[in-house]
Amino acid sequence: MTATPRISLFAQDTRTKRRNAAEARFRSYGLAAIVLALLALVWLLISIFSGGLPAFKQSFLTFPVTLEESVLDKGGKRDPAIMAKATTVTYAKVLAKALEAEVAAKGLETKLKTKDLTKMISEESPATLRDRVLADPSLIGQTIQVSVLASGRIDGYYKGRVTMESAAKDKNTSPEQLALADQLKAAGVLTMQFNSGFLTMPDASDKRPEAAGLGVAIIGSLYMMVVVLVLALPIGVAASVYLEEFAPKNRITDLIEVNIANLAAVPSIVYGILGLAIFINFAGLPQSAPIVGGLVLTLMTLPRIIIPTRAALKAVPPSIRDAALGVGASNLQTITHHVLPLAMPGILTGTIIGLAQALGETAPLLLIGMVAFVRDFPGAPPEGLFDPAAALPVQIYNWTQRGDPGFVERASGAIIVLLVFLIAMNAVAIYLRRKFERRW
Amino acid sequence: MKDQRLETRVDTQTIKISAQKAQVYYGTNHAIKDVDVEILDKTVTAFIGPSGCGKSTFLRCLNRMNDTIPSCRVEGKILLEGEDIYDARVDPVQLRARIGMVFQKPNPFPKSIYDNVAYGPKIHGLTRNKAELDEIVESCLRKAALWNEVKDRLAAPGTGLSGGQQQRLCIARAIATSPEVLLMDEPCSALDPIATAQVEELIDELRSQFSVVIVTHSMQQAARVSQRTAFFHLGNLVEFGETGQIFTNPQDPRTESYISGRIG
Repeated sequence: MTATPRISLFAQDTRTKRRNAAEARFRSYGLAAIVLALLALVWLLISIFSGGLPAFKQSFLTFPVTLEESVLDKGGKRDPAIMAKATTVTYAKVLAKALEAEVAAKGLETKLKTKDLTKMISEESPATLRDRVLADPSLIGQTIQVSVLASGRIDGYYKGRVTMESAAKDKNTSPEQLALADQLKAAGVLTMQFNSGFLTMPDASDKRPEAAGLGVAIIGSLYMMVVVLVLALPIGVAASVYLEEFAPKNRITDLIEVNIANLAAVPSIVYGILGLAIFINFAGLPQSAPIVGGLVLTLMTLPRIIIPTRAALKAVPPSIRDAALGVGASNLQTITHHVLPLAMPGILTGTIIGLAQALGETAPLLLIGMVAFVRDFPGAPPEGLFDPAAALPVQIYNWTQRGDPGFVERASGAIIVLLVFLIAMNAVAIYLRRKFERRW
Repeated sequence: MKDQRLETRVDTQTIKISAQKAQVYYGTNHAIKDVDVEILDKTVTAFIGPSGCGKSTFLRCLNRMNDTIPSCRVEGKILLEGEDIYDARVDPVQLRARIGMVFQKPNPFPKSIYDNVAYGPKIHGLTRNKAELDEIVESCLRKAALWNEVKDRLAAPGTGLSGGQQQRLCIARAIATSPEVLLMDEPCSALDPIATAQVEELIDELRSQFSVVIVTHSMQQAARVSQRTAFFHLGNLVEFGETGQIFTNPQDPRTESYISGRIG
């Protein structure tokens, strides 16, 4: 054996240097990966929020409208049948005239005719006013202050979507309209307000992005989540407890176990086809209904609840089971009194993450018809579960398909709403996990 | 000579548990071979032997805790007051209420001290009202020599106690169902010498009411607390008799080797 020359502790030998260099390299790779991921996340958030936040602000025109009986209720008897004969076209004229009067009253200069003024008001607004009058006929004859949606083009002008140049080529608007809008804004008639309708109103047709809202989609998603929670949580927990605690360990349970793990990885659209075949074609449930969406999402969520639940049950220390069995608790008592409470944080976290995945799932819902254009709000549960409804992710998908550029902003806004729901659900998961944190 | 002494003991004290040609298999592994043991009432019986000799396995057979291991199979007879505990008609839940168990590692439930002790009486419906339950909890904690330390914080979590206190809490929990036999699987192996001394003292007091079976690695402990000792080796019961006689005058050369530190 040759004597190695003694090296000072202060100098690194070549081998140590190599090892340290390898470690430094590895750290920098990891750091680079994290930075890259963070940048991507920041970019994503910036693009979503810059695109979507304008959806929460909307241009409104506020001016007095005189509801003349001679126009709106020809019979003068407030007979609903006769009042209903005044269509939205009539109301559109009423609104346009009122706006014209307001323009004159404020002393604003414009060459626009009444017909052009109609185009500055959203096509949705006459319908809103009409509904309001039909619901409260005593308004007829009065002069009321209304706050109506401006058209999508005017709104887009203030959100940077529409410019004077693009308006010149656009048959839906004109530079004169935009110039008048600027004057109206200066006069306080046109204001940007918080758009609560984005969260409460139903979807609107292609031509009126300014009126499109998430109301039906939020309710549809909510109904589906309730169905998923009510079905998937008990079934998933019961299946996990049985497999983990009672089932004999043999080939059949092994097979079931492998299949559950595989089901969690099955592409979600496959569940959509399954749902279409079983729930709609075979069982005859209605299309586009939250109940069918909920059932399909339940199928998809079940393995995603069973897997973390079984892991949580496995993680309960065997000493606790021994202790309970040792004082003479039955199997079921051991599970319900000791094992399940200790596994609860894991079960709840798994469930909420499964629900969050289900909330964001689009593909299976497309196949069961939830992509349909739905304007009517579903009824109250349980009957409402069978009414057609939309779903948040599908609504986003839908809006990205529309032609009007106003829908880009709507889709981004809907993504923000979806993200807020997901973050809220994850916050609940974290809170529950902390609350039930293991205490041994 | 040995047999005669055994006979006289049997005459004066009732046999609580009697194992006759007990065999335990883990799958194909024959873990316990032909064990004949008689556990007497109001006596501390110690099981000693090197690691892996099957003493814990045999202990866990006595209240059917081995039922939870699917590959485990018990043959022969283990009688509790003349009734075979492996009879198909026996519900292990009822059996375990009569044969309590304390484990190697203190394992209190992650609940309050009170609930730990009250759990057994509650599930077996031993009390009619809260006052009776309070009484049981207090008397068991007193018997476990824990009452004075915890009486002001019965609502505090049992897991917050020190290791020795936790083990005494587990003993209180085990005796709360008024078992006839108390099985202890190395109850002091996770405890420091002071806590060990407390638990040993406790075992000696418990002897007046229960029959105690204790598995231990410490021969000093066996000598201190037990009246009768069984020496296991490689799944066989090598020798069983009066503790004093086993330690001072072992009949089998293997026992002698073990207690003098040559095997094990």
